[in-house]
Amino acid sequence: MQFLQKNEYRNYFVQRFGIPYEIMERYTFWERGRKVWAFSGITLEIERMEILGIKALTKGKALKPSTAFLRVIGKYASKNFVNLEASKALKFLRGEEIELPPTLVKQLEMGYVIVKSDEDILGCGFFDGKLKSLIPSKYRLQDTWV
Amino acid sequence: MEEPPLKYFEVYRSIIPRFEDFLMSLQTMQPYWMRVNTLKIEEEKLVGRLEKKGFVLEKFGELNAYKIVEMPVKHPGATIEYSLGYYYIQDLASMAPVLALQPEEGDIILDMAAAPGSKTTMLAELMRNTGVIVANDANFRRLKSLAGNIERLGITNVIIVNRDARTSSFGVKFKKILLDAPCSGEGTFRKNPWGFRGADERGHRYLAEQQKMMMRNAVRHLEDGGILVYSTCTYHPYENEDVVKYAVKELGLKPVEVDIPIPHTEGVKRWGEEEYEMHRECIRIYPHLVDTGGMFIAVLAKK
Ligand SMILES: C[S@@+](CC[C@H](N)C(=O)[O-])C[C@H]1O[C@@H](n2cnc3c(N)ncnc32)[C@H](O)[C@@H]1O
Repeated sequence: MQFLQKNEYRNYFVQRFGIPYEIMERYTFWERGRKVWAFSGITLEIERMEILGIKALTKGKALKPSTAFLRVIGKYASKNFVNLEASKALKFLRGEEIELPPTLVKQLEMGYVIVKSDEDILGCGFFDGKLKSLIPSKYRLQDTWV
Repeated sequence: MEEPPLKYFEVYRSIIPRFEDFLMSLQTMQPYWMRVNTLKIEEEKLVGRLEKKGFVLEKFGELNAYKIVEMPVKHPGATIEYSLGYYYIQDLASMAPVLALQPEEGDIILDMAAAPGSKTTMLAELMRNTGVIVANDANFRRLKSLAGNIERLGITNVIIVNRDARTSSFGVKFKKILLDAPCSGEGTFRKNPWGFRGADERGHRYLAEQQKMMMRNAVRHLEDGGILVYSTCTYHPYENEDVVKYAVKELGLKPVEVDIPIPHTEGVKRWGEEEYEMHRECIRIYPHLVDTGGMFIAVLAKK
């Protein structure tokens, strides 16, 4: 399957997370099937590419951002992000649901959010009153980790 | 425990300097080394965080490379910081071919045998996610770990392809190429002495044939004035100086002298009947120099 260039996906990150357009312009966006890839490199005429840059979005009823790409651009977000204190950050990394204080809840729109803890961008969450962790299992905190 | 099978290395007594020290180093486990992913975090910040968790780290020279002297976990990747992509476990010796290629922002680079991506991810880090790296590997399963590492480290300037580096066309030419060739892996002995296989005479000759085919294909993809780094993690001259000699004599490449900030020796001058004129431009890293694995590197230019 071919990658089709569709840079309009930049707007998703600008609109949803308030990431400056100049930051999003560093990336070209490429659609293949249900996945959208973000690429910061020079475009080359290469056939049969397996992967182009980093997976950024999955198409479904709504666009779902990937934890991996949010970890790259999340520091530029100005809305729809949550900053968790350390113990809640650990829970989130374990994949657990988090109760948010009302002050935070007020600032968020329903849907996908960027979850941070200080300088760490932990990844993608889903906010529907509570905060659900969408950290892929390979990145989930294990008991044997420090 | 049983002695590690060191006899295998006796054939190299005449070419490896301070051979007894070399043998001694093979009897100790290789420490883990790590590279800070400065695309995601500042070096001092990460080091501070890991030290707080009980890691003891030793910085190597001016590089963002650290020897892990002690750690509070069994595997050096069992930390939140690792999962966040803040560091990569990579032997210091394996950083040398990347430094020899001198990647710069905006470069167009082909990494012909790239999985699992230690060198690809380091190239991308030095290029600050600009330019482009075409990272290839013939082994699809290994490509998955390459893709996983790229994703974890937040690398966005890589195109992954799945081709045979001996024969396939990549469709474009490159200013810089890294050919980190499949080899007999003698330099990785210390990682797993009892599982070590190595190769016999026929095996080394077969691998050298494959490496020469890859070299020939690499030259086809190199722009005029471009630079190619050839590297292996093995000691046998057939897979190293002999492949470089072939590139110089048969393919018209020119050996280039480069300096790298990791202790090394020059290449082998003579092996059996073979003489290697370009041995001075070759680089060899041995485990007894700074407690790493082994590596061979040559930098070649297309005139
Ligand atoms: C020394 S390893 C590469 C290590 C890698 N450069 C790194 O730093 O992580 C050699 C690689 O060559 C690949 N390989 C073997 N034969 C190949 C071929 N004919 N074409 C392309 N890749 C090949 C293997 O799958 C293996 O991943």
